[in-house]
Order: sequence, then C-alpha cells, then structure tokens
Amino acid sequence: MKEKIDEITQEALKEIESAKGDRASLEAARVKYLGRKGMITELFKSMAQVDPAERPEAGRLINILKDNVTKALDDQLLSLAKVEEAGGRLDITLPGISRRLGKKHPITKTIDEILGIFISLGFRVVEGPEIETEYYNFEALNIPLEHPSRDAFDTFYIETVDRRPETVDQKYLLRSHTSPVQIRFMEKNKPPFSIVVPGKVYRPDATDASHSFMFHQVEGLAVGDNIRFSDLKGILSIFARRIFGSKTRLRFRPSFFPFTEPSAEVDISCIICKGQGKCSVCGGKGWLEILGAGMVNPRVFENVGYDSEKITGLAFGMGVERIAMLKYGIDDIRLFFENDIRFLRQF
Amino acid sequence: MRISYNWLKDYIDLNISPERAAQLLTMAGFPVEAVNKIPGDCLFDIEVTSNRGDCLSFLGIARELSAITGSKLKMPLSLRGRSPKQSQKTGLLRPFGARNDKEIQSAVSVKVEDKKLCPRYTARVIRGVKVKESPKWLTKRIEAMGLRPVNNIVDITNFCLFETGEPIHAFDLDKISGSHVIIRRAKKEERVLTIDGIEKILNETDLVIADEDKVIAIAGVMGASNTEVTDSTKNILFEAAYFDPVTIRKTSRRLGLSTESSYRFERSVDISNIAYSSNRAGELVIDLAGGEGGEFVDIGIKTGGEISITLRYPYLDKILGLALPRSEVDRILESIGFNISSHSDGKVKLKAPQFRQDIRREIDCIEEVGRIYGYEKIKETIPSIVEGGDRLPFNRIVDNRIKDTLNGLGMDEATTYGLLSKKILIMSGLEGNIRDKNIVELKNPLTSDQEVMRPSLLPGLLNSMRWNINRKAALINLFELGKVYTKDGNGRFREAEHLSLGLVGEARAFWFEGARPASFFDLKGIVETLLSELGVDSPSFERIEDSLFSPAAAASITVNGDKVGVIGEISGQVLADFDIKEKIFASELDIDAILNYAKLEKRFKGLPLYPSVVRDMSIIVDEGASNAELIASMKSAGGSILKNVELLDRYKGKQIPEGKIGLTYRLEYQDLMKTLEDKDVVRLHANVIKELEQKFAITLR
Repeated sequence: MKEKIDEITQEALKEIESAKGDRASLEAARVKYLGRKGMITELFKSMAQVDPAERPEAGRLINILKDNVTKALDDQLLSLAKVEEAGGRLDITLPGISRRLGKKHPITKTIDEILGIFISLGFRVVEGPEIETEYYNFEALNIPLEHPSRDAFDTFYIETVDRRPETVDQKYLLRSHTSPVQIRFMEKNKPPFSIVVPGKVYRPDATDASHSFMFHQVEGLAVGDNIRFSDLKGILSIFARRIFGSKTRLRFRPSFFPFTEPSAEVDISCIICKGQGKCSVCGGKGWLEILGAGMVNPRVFENVGYDSEKITGLAFGMGVERIAMLKYGIDDIRLFFENDIRFLRQF
Repeated sequence: MRISYNWLKDYIDLNISPERAAQLLTMAGFPVEAVNKIPGDCLFDIEVTSNRGDCLSFLGIARELSAITGSKLKMPLSLRGRSPKQSQKTGLLRPFGARNDKEIQSAVSVKVEDKKLCPRYTARVIRGVKVKESPKWLTKRIEAMGLRPVNNIVDITNFCLFETGEPIHAFDLDKISGSHVIIRRAKKEERVLTIDGIEKILNETDLVIADEDKVIAIAGVMGASNTEVTDSTKNILFEAAYFDPVTIRKTSRRLGLSTESSYRFERSVDISNIAYSSNRAGELVIDLAGGEGGEFVDIGIKTGGEISITLRYPYLDKILGLALPRSEVDRILESIGFNISSHSDGKVKLKAPQFRQDIRREIDCIEEVGRIYGYEKIKETIPSIVEGGDRLPFNRIVDNRIKDTLNGLGMDEATTYGLLSKKILIMSGLEGNIRDKNIVELKNPLTSDQEVMRPSLLPGLLNSMRWNINRKAALINLFELGKVYTKDGNGRFREAEHLSLGLVGEARAFWFEGARPASFFDLKGIVETLLSELGVDSPSFERIEDSLFSPAAAASITVNGDKVGVIGEISGQVLADFDIKEKIFASELDIDAILNYAKLEKRFKGLPLYPSVVRDMSIIVDEGASNAELIASMKSAGGSILKNVELLDRYKGKQIPEGKIGLTYRLEYQDLMKTLEDKDVVRLHANVIKELEQKFAITLR
C-alpha cells in the first residue's frame, strides 16, 4: 500500500508540475487524482481491503497524499491566475470617469455662509419685494425727500404711466437697499425678534470693476426690550471672526445713517496684509470697511407704531459682493454676473 | 472735504502728528480717506456725513478736534470781536443792522419776498475797494484747497467759505440796478447767465437774488455774470444768508450744478453765525483791498431757536450698554458745545449748540456721548436672542434643495441681472410681453441694456450661454434661481421666483465611451429628477407651440393640471438672433407654482414583503405613438399589480418596417399582499399586450 501511495505521489506531483501554466491540464490532473473516480478517491475506497491493523497508518498516508496534491494544484492555479490577470493589466494613470458636481454661485455660497452664522445666533431669515414704494425704501426709514442723506441712495424708478403717482405709496422704485424689509416685517410682527434679510438691490451706478447697478445685501435687525449698542458690537464681532477668521480685529467708527442712531461703520483688519496697512486692498490703511450698523432710530420704531420708550433694536447691513470679493480674492465685480464657467467652477 | 493741516493749525494748537490727528478724526466719525503729504503741508481728504454740515469748514473740524483733544479752539480775530476803536475804523463792528446807524444814509435796500425760503439775509456794502491780486498767504490757502486764485475779493469769499462754512457771495454793487436786492422765486423759464458762462433756465420753485430788472444770482448755487466782481469793480455788496436747504437742493439737482456753496446750504448753515461770517469777510476786504465799510442790512430771524433736550442717564446707559459716570457724560456734552441747564432725578436738561442743526432729540445726544467717549471703549456683549419659529422660510428650504440637487446633477449656478434691454426680450421671442404691456419698465434707466425688468430668466441665461460658447466651453450646463417681474392689467406688480436651466455641448466627453451631444432628454431627465427630489408627483409633458422654442421639441410641464414650466430646444430664429450655432436646450420653471406641490418631508413606507416579477416586452408600433400614452395603457391594463414600467430600448433598423419603431419595455409586477404566482403574471402580462394590440396595433417582436 505504501509503495502505491509513494508512486502516486511521485506521479501526481510530476504531472502537476508539467501542467504548469495550462489551466486545462491542471483541471485534468485534478479530475484524475481528486475527482469522484480519481486515483486518490479510489485509494480511500480500497481501504476496506487493507488489514485492519494497517488501516490507521494507510489512512494517514493517503490523507497526506491528498493534502500534497491539493496544495500543489492550488499553488499552480493561483500563480496561473496572477499571470492571467497581469495580462489584462489597466493603465491606472488613465483618468477616472468624471462625475462632475455643479457649483453654487459664489454669491450664493457667501449669502449661505452669512445666513448660517446669524441663524446659529438665533436669527431667522425673512425676505421682501424688490419692487418697492418710496415709502418703504425711504420715508419710513427716516430718509426724507430732497435730503442730502439721499445722495447715498440714487434710485431706479419704475414707469407708472398708467397710474396716478405723486404719493409715496404709489411711487414705485427698485429697492436701493434691503432695509425696507425691516419696515414690512415690523408692521406685521411684535418684538422680540431677530431677523436677517438677504436679497438683490439696485442703484443706477455705471458698471465698472467695483460698481454694479445690481448687487446683493444682507440686512439684520434684532429688536427687544434690552438690546444695546454693546450687543451690536458683540454680534458683529462673532460674525466677522467666523467669516474672516478668528484673528480678525474689528473697528467701530461713528457714522451716520438716517435709520439708525447711534450709527457705526464697521471695519475689519485687512485680511490680506493682516492689518499692517501695507497692501493695495486696504489702500495702506490696514482696515477694510465691511458693514454699516447702528441702533434703530426711535423715529423708525414710531413709523411702525412701536413704543420707542419700551424697546430698542440693533440693525446692520452689508454688501455680499464686497465680502465675497474679499473672501475669494476676486478683483472685478462684473465677474459675478458674466457667468463664465471658468469662473463659476472655481468655487 | 479737503483740509490743509497747516491752515487747520491756525484755529487749534495740535501737538500731534497729522497721522494721529487723522486717526482721531476717523474714530470720531470723520473718516480721513487719505493723508497726502505735500511740501510744507499735509492735506486730509475727510468724509463729512450729510448730517454734519457744521463741519464743512476749518472751524468746524477744529471744533471737533478741540472736543477730542481738549486743546482750545482759537477763533479768528473778527469772530472774537475787536476793540471799539478798531471797529470804528473799519465801520464793521457797530451794532449790526446799519439801518439803525444814523451816520450812514442807506443807499441799498433788501427785500425778502419769501421768508420761508430765506429766513435770514444780510447785505454788507464796502465802497472804494481796489480789486487786485491776493497776497501770498491768501493765494497759498486758496491753492491748498485746489482752487485757482482769482482776485482778492473772490479769494476772500472762498477763504471765508472754507474757514467758517458760510458761503459768501460778492456782487459788484454798481451793477445792481437801483441798489435794490430782492430775494424772490424765479419766474417760469426765467433765464440767467451764471459765472460759469452757461445760461440757466429757471422755474418757479427756484429761489433767486434779483435787482429791479434782472436775476443777479441763483440763490445759494451760483452768481450771475451780470454782477460779477471784475478788476474794475469799486464798490461791493457781500451777501451772507440762510436759504432753505430743500429749495437749494432741488435747484442744484435740477440744474445738475453742485457748488461749494449749494453743498453747504443743502446741509444747512449756522443761521446764528451769518453776521459774524459776513463781518469776517468784510474785515479781510478792508485789510486787503482797502475801502470803507458801508451799510449792513440784516433781515429775518437771528437764531434757529434754542433746542432744549432732557437726557436720562439710565436711558443712555441702556442704549449704549455702558455705565458711564454722570460727570463724564456732562463733560463730554460740554466739550462739544452743549449747555447744561439743570440736573434732576437722573436727568440732565441740555441746550444744544446753535451750529448743531442735527441735534433734535435725546437719542441724538446719546449718539454724541458714545461718539466722543469712543465706540472702541464700549465692551462687547451678547444678547439673549430667544425666538421660536422656523429659521428658514419654506421657499428658501426648497431653493436650497433645488440648488443641491442641480449641483449633484452637474449643473452650475448662474446669476444674471434683473434688468434687461427690450432688444434682448425681442431676440428671445418675448415681444408679446412688450406688446401686452405686462413688463415692468424703468423711468430712469442708465443705459438701454437696463431698461426693463426681466419677465423671464431665459434671455439672461441665453446671454450667459453665448458668453461661454464664444469662449469655447465644451459643455455648458447652467441654472439660475431668481425672480421675474411682471405687471397685471391693473398695473399691479408681481414678483415670482423662477428657475431656468440650459444645456449645450457634449453631454459626455469621456475617453471611455466617446462624446455624444447633449439632447432634449438630458435636460428632461434633469427636470424630472429635480421634480421628483422636490416630491412633485408625476409631472406631465405636453407638446406646445412657443416662439422661443423649436417645433421639434417644445413642451409644457404641468402638475395636477397647473402649468409649472416649459422645456424645449431653442428655436433656430432665436439662436440666429443670438448668433449661436450650437443647439441649446432650455427650461424655465415657476417655482412659486411648484411650491404648492413640493413635499420635502419624508415618511417611511414598509418594504415589500413579497418579491416582484420582471417581464421584458419588445413591441413594434407606429413611430408617432406616444410613450406616455403607451405606458398609461399598460398601467391601466396591469392595474395596481403592475408596479412600474420602464423603457429599456428604442430601436429603428433593419428588422423594423418603415414608419414603425421598436420599443422594449421592462414591466415589474408585484402584489403587496402575497407572492405572485406565475399564472397570475402570465394572465396580467397577456392583458397588457392585448390592450396595446387593441389601442396601438402593436406587434410583438
């Protein structure tokens, strides 16, 4: 029995070795030795005729034989598989099949970022119409007709030949700022509240690298029984540091807006030269103006029927294009509206 | 406003650098935009806000610096007053109102016809002046302000304007007929040649200075050339006055003529200081041009009235978020010219300085305290803003979903202008809107590119696509979410949110499978995916005729019978007008209409317990058959068990007869209550086929 086993071992390993690299011969060898009628299977069957005393030893030897043949076959098949796969080798430097994502417009991204910051501070988002009346755009905000404070608000008016104009309620215009939404909101809601208002505004400015007749603003208004100027500073500092980085310094300068008092202009330390006053972006001043803000003028509260003795409010407004230009280093406002995909796809 | 630092130092001792002074002014609300060093001087470019007309002068700025630095203000000599002896010599400091002065027989008379528009008018006569070049110190001052010196008289009026902020005009007295000065409204279409050499046509809302037979100045704006001071002038009449700011502003704006003078009158000059300014000018004339002081006429009110304000200290602390010592509040207010009348019970009664026309209420005083105390010293606090309700309105949540979805589908977001030309509307096949007068037009457009508000997003989108095509972009897929504006029959304006989508170029340009041009169905697929993502069920697409789209592919999109949009291939005519050679596919959706159907909230539906059975079916049908109708028929025959029908293949070729088309559909059958048995499927599928045979005369392949 032992001789027979040795003989088959020799023969099988030799045959497998010579079948190297040939899947069909290897398969034939597997059938010949390990198949249902294979030589090793037959050996197991012939165990019944072996002397019972020799059976354990014979069984052990046949099992060793089976393991050796199986291993030899597996090894050959594995190396064969490797060779075969290598033959279909890909040029892995070919480009991946693109699943290009579209991009949001940088103005959208900037507005979303601004709104996100204020939402996290407890503000909610409110919108209003772009075609406004003179009352909401000016009068209610304490910007009287024929007053020099209107110089900052050149305005597109709407043709209303089919109407009788004259009163401020019927004189239509394209809002020159988002502040009319303050009035519309306060007319319908009672304090306390805090809102942010994004939207398009229009001013008849000749278009160049830094002027556009249409641009975007975000306006904020928080009204309650204990809103203070110090709160305005706190909120806008958080905003500026979140959007321009934690090292940003702020500067509040007294200013004048008809609808706020006290009023302030807010500068941030130049994000290019880090406030050193050494670059052209800040004009060597080290500061960049980004916001107008202030405490709501009591006259504005009175115009919407609030008791200006009982409540106070803070308000602020910013130009989105300006912030986007600073954040992304964009040097020409017209790029926002050309929609050149080489521009849009950068953000 | 320009300020020469050297000149400024005539009125205040400053032991600080110009840069430091600039910083102090900036932080007090007078931003110094530029500090320009020139030999021997330093020029500030200061922005003065429209409420601070009192600071449009060297004295005004010096007064502010005095309040900030504590350094004393040095008033020029005549404004402080001179000894009686000097005043007799010049004839200028006698009691104002020369008509009271018996020594001088007045040869001039002043008549103010409209006291509302001119509450105070002064005229001062100086006779026997010698008009000549100004001395060096004066020309230097005038040149520092960027002006060209003219002669001593004109230079003095300019000098006084910059020094005191009060515009002063000099007339040649001998050219005023009858020496009668009349302040009146202009007559309709009255004409005057002003000193800039341009004739102005006036109307009844303008205020003018006139003599008996002509206009000699447009009040507060510009003098007429007929009474201009020339080298031969001997006797002059100085005007210093207060004119109604609104009237001056209207005239200045209508004539497009803004002068140093009108700029200051618009912002209100200090009515109580007019005589002094006139005095200062007169003195300078006598010093520099000789002559003798004559009549001085002063008509109207002498002050703007006292403004008394009560300031509550706790209210000030509440607004600013401060706890300032009351003595500090008082000190600040006094430093900027307030008079403290009395204290009582946490309050202080104040009188505002005459020159501060902008101070009217308690809040104005609070701002002043904050401003001079320094905003930078107010500590930051965080308010507790507690409010319920949604952070974002539903329409913005939907907007965000739209943008995210379209980005995921490879679409880039565009932003175009809300104002367009009529021409581009016509090019985009929208002349109907212009004809029907439902577009919103501007009264005062800057250019014809911005004359109407967009009634559709597509013209702007086409414009952006053309821009990119001209720059050789291979695939352009843009969308824009924004408002469109229309006007109804009653002239009411409507703003609606729309979405535009546009596609042009190679839909796939991969090395892997080769390029293929974008098609109508690429865009339709994007719209369908978007609507599905918004929870809008089964939109239907129906063929329409539309001047913007080609008859080959133009469809309306409806949901529940509501038209929510259009989609199609841009017509050849429109493409030709835009000079575009590529095929463009575009769609516009009315998002406000879609909002009625949008469902973003999700509810979990249990997974089916029983497997579905899939059967593919290849049919041959007339080429004109509608896919939507075929599927509708299959669904009606298949009933609720037919879960889904999908078109797998559309084939035209050898085995398909002329005028026919081969279609392969995959039908998915599923019963939610039990496992479908083969015989059930066979029966249902046979029904479906039978229905198609009857309705569409299909044959199976």
